[in-house]
Amino acid sequence: MYSYEDAGGDKMGMEIPFDVANVPGPETGRIAPPEVIGSYISSAKKPLLVVGSELLWADFFLDIAIEIGKKGIPIAATGHSIKGFVEKEYTENVTYYNLHGLTNCLRDPNWKGLDGGGNYDFVIFYGILYYYASQMLSCIKNFATEPLMRAVSIDRYYHPNARMSFTNISPRMEAEYKDMLRKLVVSIKR
Amino acid sequence: MEEIKKGGIFTISELQNVRINIGEIIEEEEEWEPMGPHPMPRIATLRDWDFKLLNRYKPFYAPLCDMCCLCTYGKCDLTGNKKGACGIRMDAQQGRIVLLACLIGCSAHCAHGRHLLHDMIKKFGRDVPIDFGPEVNIEAPLTRLVCGIKPKTIGDYDKVLSYVEEQIVQLADALHTGQEGSHLDFESKALHMGMLDSLSKEAADIIQIACYHMPTSYEGGGPDVPMVDVGMGTIDTTKPVVLVIGHNVPPAADIGAYLVENGLDDKVELGGICCTSIDTTRVYSKAKLVSALGRQLRVLRAGIADVVVIDEQCIRADVLELCQHTQSPIIATNDKAMHGLVDRTDDDPDKIVNDLVSGRVPGVAILEPDQVGEVSVRTALEVDKKRKGLSFILSDDEFKRYVNDCIQCGSCTLACPNGLRIGEANKSAAAGNIKPLADLFDICVGCGRCEQVCKKHIPIVDVVTKAAYPEVKEEKGKMRVGRGPVWDSEIREVGAPLVLGTIPGIIAPIGCGNYPNGTKEVQLIVKEFAERNYIVTLTGCMAIDCALWKDEEGKTVYEQHHGRFDAGGVLNIGSCVSNAHIHGAAIKVAGIFAGRPLRGNYEEIADYIVSRVGACGVAWGAMSQKAASIATGFNRLGVPAVVGPHGVKYRRAFMSRPDRKEDWTLIDATDGSKVYVEPGPQDLLVACETVEEALPMMAKLCIRPSDTDRGRSIKLTHYIDLSLKYLNIYPPDWHLFVRAASDLPIAMRNELLKKLEDEQGWKIDWKMKKIVEGPIRAYNPSFNPTNLERLIRRKK
Ligand code: SF4
Ligand code: SF4
Ligand code: SF4
Repeated sequence: MYSYEDAGGDKMGMEIPFDVANVPGPETGRIAPPEVIGSYISSAKKPLLVVGSELLWADFFLDIAIEIGKKGIPIAATGHSIKGFVEKEYTENVTYYNLHGLTNCLRDPNWKGLDGGGNYDFVIFYGILYYYASQMLSCIKNFATEPLMRAVSIDRYYHPNARMSFTNISPRMEAEYKDMLRKLVVSIKR
Repeated sequence: MEEIKKGGIFTISELQNVRINIGEIIEEEEEWEPMGPHPMPRIATLRDWDFKLLNRYKPFYAPLCDMCCLCTYGKCDLTGNKKGACGIRMDAQQGRIVLLACLIGCSAHCAHGRHLLHDMIKKFGRDVPIDFGPEVNIEAPLTRLVCGIKPKTIGDYDKVLSYVEEQIVQLADALHTGQEGSHLDFESKALHMGMLDSLSKEAADIIQIACYHMPTSYEGGGPDVPMVDVGMGTIDTTKPVVLVIGHNVPPAADIGAYLVENGLDDKVELGGICCTSIDTTRVYSKAKLVSALGRQLRVLRAGIADVVVIDEQCIRADVLELCQHTQSPIIATNDKAMHGLVDRTDDDPDKIVNDLVSGRVPGVAILEPDQVGEVSVRTALEVDKKRKGLSFILSDDEFKRYVNDCIQCGSCTLACPNGLRIGEANKSAAAGNIKPLADLFDICVGCGRCEQVCKKHIPIVDVVTKAAYPEVKEEKGKMRVGRGPVWDSEIREVGAPLVLGTIPGIIAPIGCGNYPNGTKEVQLIVKEFAERNYIVTLTGCMAIDCALWKDEEGKTVYEQHHGRFDAGGVLNIGSCVSNAHIHGAAIKVAGIFAGRPLRGNYEEIADYIVSRVGACGVAWGAMSQKAASIATGFNRLGVPAVVGPHGVKYRRAFMSRPDRKEDWTLIDATDGSKVYVEPGPQDLLVACETVEEALPMMAKLCIRPSDTDRGRSIKLTHYIDLSLKYLNIYPPDWHLFVRAASDLPIAMRNELLKKLEDEQGWKIDWKMKKIVEGPIRAYNPSFNPTNLERLIRRKK
């Protein structure tokens, strides 16, 4: 049987998706530590942070999003996560969007983006219900290919449909996860 | 010589081995309406209509699997929209899988209808009249619309179902490797399948209403249907209990009839799960609804049933094993779900009862509905005596031991479709706080995946049930009995307000119980819209689940709201097949209010509905293939649907791009001019992550280009208000729906004009309180929107 401890890629050379049977096919994303994901994000020309309602689980998670936002990465707030930004009075570069509708735009190279200046080349998924995020990442992986849109997840779940993702992080490792997010923010250079 | 029956066979008694099949006797049909352009459409007949929809709502795909393994060339890797060995691309493959899901769903409804028809003709004959009382003249809107047939008796449904069956086979053929290659054509076929699905549902419900005298517009029907009890706490387990599960009511109806005939209706409990239970309450007033689909595993595990009777659809595949565990014999009544049981149809009831009571067999199959009542009730009476004193709820000690055994490894969380953190809840229960575990009861969808991976062999489902048991055993709600068709007289009253927009919309909760966050959200959806004077029409599992919750006054939404098809009504239309009457209501608006001809005229009516009838389905827990075909059927008719987050696993959505002007150009039928319009309805199928997001989304999807300014202002009020309430923001796109100052809610007009000026740069004439520049289009009260060139009255 599998468990959180089995994830991480050092058991049988295969990562375990957070929803175990969610194995998409031959192309699965790799697990990476925060610094690597951070520098990957730094390589983006026009990144977008896509956040969901799990951001509202604790202030800390919202604050991390705001810190990333303050680095000049615009935020699409999906689900009802926008509520948190309004309460924190950070709405500077935050736009509400339905995640399905947003992904529908992201897959179109001609989309004008949230700022009217064109589509993104990189999306960061964060704080989104696992299975919903997984499907949207699948759409991006399969259809946002010309030009290539890179997608990473910084959630506490292993997301095989993202190009890079954290491993599954058990609720017991909450402190470690928070630490990873802190490290990630530091390593994003803009 | 026997009487010649319509469409039947006659035999000549003196002659042996002579059979003369006279086939169908064609009866002179009354000329009730001229035939429209598309009676009994074939695969490609309505393709142009589909392509109009698909051009605006371009199929969006999110593969659940990047491979195809349907033929021996495969597995083929389609990642990145690659082609498989047969040449199919990922997008077309997704369309193919969607068509397959709709095929399965539609087949379930059609085969259910056929099964019913077969049994009912055998029991009552072909000539049972379709008569729904003085308030229902358009008895079968979909049958008229799709087939061009006005059914008079149930026998007329032979033709209708034959049509559907033939189309299903043709569509199934398109799935074969080397057939269809275009994703758009797969979607057109899926839409066709969805339409056939809606027709099949109407057929099935009409047949059962007619034969069992289910509520109609005769006395006691419609808004006056009685309330029934809902919940696990409604069953008196001191009595023998028969539990029915599934969708096909005849066996359950026979049980009810047997109880009444034998004076046992107060001595034996008849309860049900899922749609059969809804339909049983339409025929037997003492039936109780134990639960919707989501609690099936837990109800069975709780062992409240002395006998379990299954018919078809949504039955757990491990039902036999579960019943063996609780020592409840099982009776399978449908050849589509026999679970390996021996067919004992026509066997001596005494023998069958004896075998079941003695435990010699775990269950039997009885495929003749009229034999089920006696066997199930007599068995329950006996088995109840043997099962007295058995309890399948964990003891306090067992519960303690299990929660202490948990090592918080998280395997269960990784197996759980909702990612529930069971380990943590166990930990807090071990420390004395059972609330986190008890709270999981409603959010858990009762799948049982967690238990199979627990290294400590903890029966997690039972542990959660135990924690919640003090509340669960008291769970008692009230639901209106399924009322069936919306009355023509009701449509006459609300047709105008619906099309003009002053009743802001019809909200139709439909489908299964795969909710992201439990059943309580269903109640919230219903309450929020009913209190805002929408018409809320429920069917299936959501109709049951919303009855589990009460407000501060101890009342369910059914008790708080009237049951008329009118502003603020909360209607239980019936089981899943009954949701065809919601299509029916929209069609009747076009027929009765707008005087559009219905017969064989699907395209025109769908065109009418998509631009004018502010209706929105919500399948918050959509799970089955039937839910896929149901939603697709609504979509072809121009009715959008919002699904819960699990709905993204259907792989396909239909969303528009409001920023693409070319997609949002309609024709004004009055003069043929092209008009760029606001995106109403913006999407035909879209998922929301949370209920907070879904509520404003549904309000938005009720907006239609035909709204009057007063209607639009009411719809905008709710859209903005729900967004402020649940998202804490003005919807970023609300301005798209403003055509003139009069579209703005009066109470907020100045404030909103100011926002339009400041945030959107619109020009406002503040003296006149008018918008001078900015909107997508000006408000034109005589705008006659259509997507169909052929409906232009005179060209400009
Ligand atoms: S799998 Fe079993 S032991 Fe592990 S956390 Fe879940 S209940 Fe506890
Ligand atoms: S039974 Fe409930 S807790 Fe267990 S995996 Fe299914 S949804 Fe999760
Ligand atoms: S995906 Fe659905 S049908 Fe298949 S095993 Fe799971 S629950 Fe059953």
